[in-house]
Amino acid sequence: MIEARGLAAGKGAALAFKHVSFQIAPGSFTALVGPNGAGKTTLFETILGLIPPRHGEIQVLGGTPSRMRRQIAYVPQALALAHDDALIGREFVSAAFQAHRLGLPLPGSRRRARAAVDAALDTVGAKDLATRRLSTLSGGQRQRLLIAQALVNRPRLVLLDEPLSQLDPAARDWIVAVAADLTRRGIAVIFSTHDINPVLRVCDRVLYLAQGRGRIGSVDEIICDETLSELYATPVRVIRDGGRRFVFADAPAA
Amino acid sequence: MPEFLQFAFMRNAFVATTLIALMGSLVGYFVVLRRQAFASHALSNIGFAGAAGASLAGVDPMLGLLLFVMGAALVMAWTGRDMGERDVSVGMILMFSLGLGALFVNLYSANANAAIGILFGSVFGIDAGQIRWIAITSAGVLLGLGAIFRPLRFASLNPQAARAQGIPVATLDTLFLLLVGAAAAIAVPVIGSLLSFAIFVGPAAAAQAWCGRVGLGMGLTALLALLESLGGLLLSYYANLPASSCIAALSFGLYGLSRLPIRALRA
Ligand SMILES: Nc1ncnc2c1ncn2[C@@H]1O[C@H](COP(=O)(O)OP(=O)(O)OP(=O)(O)O)[C@@H](O)[C@H]1O
Ligand SMILES: [Mg+2]
Repeated sequence: MIEARGLAAGKGAALAFKHVSFQIAPGSFTALVGPNGAGKTTLFETILGLIPPRHGEIQVLGGTPSRMRRQIAYVPQALALAHDDALIGREFVSAAFQAHRLGLPLPGSRRRARAAVDAALDTVGAKDLATRRLSTLSGGQRQRLLIAQALVNRPRLVLLDEPLSQLDPAARDWIVAVAADLTRRGIAVIFSTHDINPVLRVCDRVLYLAQGRGRIGSVDEIICDETLSELYATPVRVIRDGGRRFVFADAPAA
Repeated sequence: MPEFLQFAFMRNAFVATTLIALMGSLVGYFVVLRRQAFASHALSNIGFAGAAGASLAGVDPMLGLLLFVMGAALVMAWTGRDMGERDVSVGMILMFSLGLGALFVNLYSANANAAIGILFGSVFGIDAGQIRWIAITSAGVLLGLGAIFRPLRFASLNPQAARAQGIPVATLDTLFLLLVGAAAAIAVPVIGSLLSFAIFVGPAAAAQAWCGRVGLGMGLTALLALLESLGGLLLSYYANLPASSCIAALSFGLYGLSRLPIRALRA
């Protein structure tokens, strides 16, 4: 589904990361973890072909990223949906349906859009938001509509950029469950977050970015003293507590 | 035929106003959706400088308006990278253009009334030649808007996701500003550059308060625009008041009504 070898990319003069290699399988759940500025968004933009890799190569769905873009959906980080936005949920979601087409949608296309929107709203459990105005929704409800919007063109890969950042624990569980449900439908999910704990139970693999380096593997392979110490190039301790993991730099008291 | 339509100037006013209300308000729907009210207002005001410059140079004011406003739209698209952070560059372009406008009016002191006509509109002074310009430009703008409707709608609501899908968000932004520029250029002689908000923003803002759907909302926008502009013309004719003032008052009234917390009116 995605094959990246020796990837290096960056938006400014400096590289955000280099020598990053990974593979993503269909229907898999990959947690993309890293501190602020580690390059999570940059990696997404590279997968989407929005910025070219400086080194290495990347194949997405068997082709170059820019050619395969239409089969990938991107849910942007903290989209500021305007507060007084007057549209209802259904209209927001359906705006993405075949949006690259020119001309007004004909009746047949409108029917197909309706069916696709209903299916997408159903998938994220947001049927009740179809007729609600965006201005009246909570952060978690908006996040669900954003994911529904990403699904209307039936993507094979969904990139979620820090979808948990502004949510309370209950809303987080909802979004994680929605994302895990996508993988059961055969959609590969890359889910960026700077806290691994909310996705521990559902993620197949962890792609960890830090200090310009990246490593991929199972949770146990990545979220452990050795790997993280190597990534951060400083002693790091991982403490397990009732199924959760906490990462500390050097002293556990920190 | 109703009594008021017996005069050619009234017929011209009706045709011009109908075309501009339909075209301007539908473009305006996206202006409001994209929060570009300031840019649209600025483009109309820049039209004043264009018309004044054209009069000075002795070319058709319509042509001057169109070129000047479209040029300004291009500059706006280039200088303001992000549609949300464009306020300052729009303001600077507006300020510079108004400075030019003041210079042109000063140099062309022969006809200060023409300048007032552009600032506040002179709907009863529209002639058949202008109607042709208005009809052609309106058709072109509506065709253009229809062509980019789907990508523009997505790019307006979620630009980052649209860009990720390969939709040329920046190009769409430029195209849309050009449409707004063309719409503003032909609306200015009719409604006036200072009062173009009445067509571009008023109906769309009221419609968006009442209706949360795009298709239905655009229909309502066009309806409200026709209501207020043709209503304004009639009011002006029978009460002997300036047409632009009547249209502006009706636009403001409808907008005010839409802000009232009347639940029954909201769909
Ligand atoms: N437009 C830009 N121009 C230059 N450098 C940039 C630009 N955007 C980001 N960067 C830099 O690229 C690096 C990676 O940024 P990126 O946004 O990918 O990180 P991130 O992991 O998504 O961070 P966050 O958790 O804050 O979202 C950072 O060091 C940042 O300073
Ligand atoms: Mg980021």
